[in-house]
Amino acid sequence: MQLMINNISKGFGDKEVLHNVSFTVTSGRAMGFLGRNGAGKSTTIRCLMDVFRPDSGDFLLDGRPFKPRSLKIGYLPEERGMYQKNEVLAQLMYFARLRGASKADALKSANHWVDYFGLGDYKKKKLEVLSKGNQQKIQIAQSFLNEPDILILDEPFSGLDPVNARVFQDAISDFVKEGRLVIFSSHQMSYVEDVCDDVTLIHEGRILLSGDLDKIRREEGQNKLFLSVLSADETWERDLKAAFPTLLISPADDGLILDTQGTLTQGEIMAWLGRKGLVLRRFGLYEPSLNDIFIQKAGD
Amino acid sequence: MRDFFTVFHYELKTQLTKKTAIVTTVILMVVMLLITSLPRIISLFDSGEVTQEGLAFIQDAGYVLPGGETEALLVSLLGEEPQRFDSRDALVQALQENGLEVGFVIQANLDYEAIYMDRSLEDSQDQQMAALLSQIKRQQLITRMGLTPGDFAAIEAAQVQGETTVLGRNSINNYAISFILMLTVYMMVLLYGNSVSTIIAREKDSRTMEILITSTRPSSLILGKVAAAGLSAVVQFGAVLLAAVAGYQLNRHLYPEIITAMLSGTLTASYVWSYLFFSFFGFILYLFLYAALGSTVSKMEDLGSATALVQFLFILGYFLATLAANMPSGTLAVISSIIPFTSIMVMPLRSAVITVPWGELILAGALMLLFVVFFAFLSIKIYRWGSLNYGNKTKLSRIVREALRSR
Repeated sequence: MQLMINNISKGFGDKEVLHNVSFTVTSGRAMGFLGRNGAGKSTTIRCLMDVFRPDSGDFLLDGRPFKPRSLKIGYLPEERGMYQKNEVLAQLMYFARLRGASKADALKSANHWVDYFGLGDYKKKKLEVLSKGNQQKIQIAQSFLNEPDILILDEPFSGLDPVNARVFQDAISDFVKEGRLVIFSSHQMSYVEDVCDDVTLIHEGRILLSGDLDKIRREEGQNKLFLSVLSADETWERDLKAAFPTLLISPADDGLILDTQGTLTQGEIMAWLGRKGLVLRRFGLYEPSLNDIFIQKAGD
Repeated sequence: MRDFFTVFHYELKTQLTKKTAIVTTVILMVVMLLITSLPRIISLFDSGEVTQEGLAFIQDAGYVLPGGETEALLVSLLGEEPQRFDSRDALVQALQENGLEVGFVIQANLDYEAIYMDRSLEDSQDQQMAALLSQIKRQQLITRMGLTPGDFAAIEAAQVQGETTVLGRNSINNYAISFILMLTVYMMVLLYGNSVSTIIAREKDSRTMEILITSTRPSSLILGKVAAAGLSAVVQFGAVLLAAVAGYQLNRHLYPEIITAMLSGTLTASYVWSYLFFSFFGFILYLFLYAALGSTVSKMEDLGSATALVQFLFILGYFLATLAANMPSGTLAVISSIIPFTSIMVMPLRSAVITVPWGELILAGALMLLFVVFFAFLSIKIYRWGSLNYGNKTKLSRIVREALRSR
């Protein structure tokens, strides 16, 4: 399956929130949808789920109009909520039935996912008696009901402790391996790096980059080197700049990022460092983390 | 349709298995059984003693009497020796200090003054005294005219035989039962209307709505919820009504004849149809209104002010119905029995007390059906609108405009 988000624009009153948002999600490859607060992630997802109607653009699944209610979709909204005063299993069955499951399948699926998240003892309890963390797991469980073909999760990791986040990550990874289509938004870059094959970065309603995460990393690291030096005096950095005027130097954690702009080779710089007699902690190709890319692209 | 039944089944089960709903129903059933068994309960405590004739039942009374023949006549009619006082002041003092309830200062010409220490709503000793003194005065006048007490008794006892035939509705008999049934509808609308709006507002407040509307169509959700609320109301009130009927049937022979006549007089087929039709569809109409208004609020605490308008509309219908009972053919009654928001109560009440022309019944029925369909459509639109709008309060007129303009 291939889901195309195609030139989506959406405004509220005078404020334009999405500007021709376009990217593609492919089944079997988890898509991480990244952006700062208010960047337009939830609005895009709500448009996709037909909660909001976009002002222009369309959503296509394998070339056909995407109709969420006619597909097997699991959805976890950003602002999550369920019936506080109702029993956990009963309301999960209700949601499963609303998404087309038979009574038997709904029961089976609800039981499976409650057990999967380790909440088997709470099936007959009202949701309000569960802790906040456990309520969150039940809300996540509802998105997995009926083993959906498409999983759309808005900020699923927020509020989860590392152990539960790992359980959830495993569930997502299993879905991806089974060839399902998965898209989720997040602020937590480490989770995205662990789970996602593709990422899309949105900033102020515009897509800044989208595609294969490794490829993006390589492209963002192209012509760049990472240098970390031990016990050096303060003048070597100035000397380096003087020796290579075309070299762009920017600080990074525990070192410097050197942008050669394609005018220098790694060997030329290495030879200069050798001549200066500097002790190197690390010198090599720069591979930016997703966090680095995010801050670089979406930072002020 | 499948989703409608899923929503309907879930909401119905949730409503009927609520502990509060079960306890309330059981309590109401017991109360209704007790009320309808009142004649039996009263008979258990009834000693069978006949109330004493005359004014002996005016207890704790004091008198300033005029003396002479009038006083002798009064004493004989009071049935027991009265507490006499010499003056009005002495009587007032006794009322203030000795626990007397009422005092009478009676003049020779039978004019009187009744003096109460405190007077409750039930106290009517002054009227009883007035009746007695008037009777004495009439008797004195007749004697002066040369008639005997026997003549007076014959005049007093003179009666004519009469028979009344009512071809249409008998308002006197029908009013009570139709009023009781109207109150049932009144309670159902207020209780279950508020229940529907609370359910929807809570879904919105807890953000469950977004999961629901991405899982199924808003129409299935609204129709399912309204149908479930409607049926649970019928089940709950049906149980209470059943308890009332059972209590009445068990104690029927102990009821005064006038009440059994009242209860059996109204239930003609045309009244029952009018009651069932307008109450049922009016109830559904109000449930849709409450559902729509529940969708417009973002926080539970705003629900009261959001539903105030429809509550006002409904209570207005109730007052118009009480007015219509007195003037069932008046212009106001006719108009309010045709407009659906008020016809829910006015039309059944009019049908109980007069024969409503067919034209008015058909027009009111058609309008009611149209309004139900339109407001069902509107409530679905507003529900959908509400799922997208949180935060700022919006005017109802703007909500309706935006909701109708949306998909």
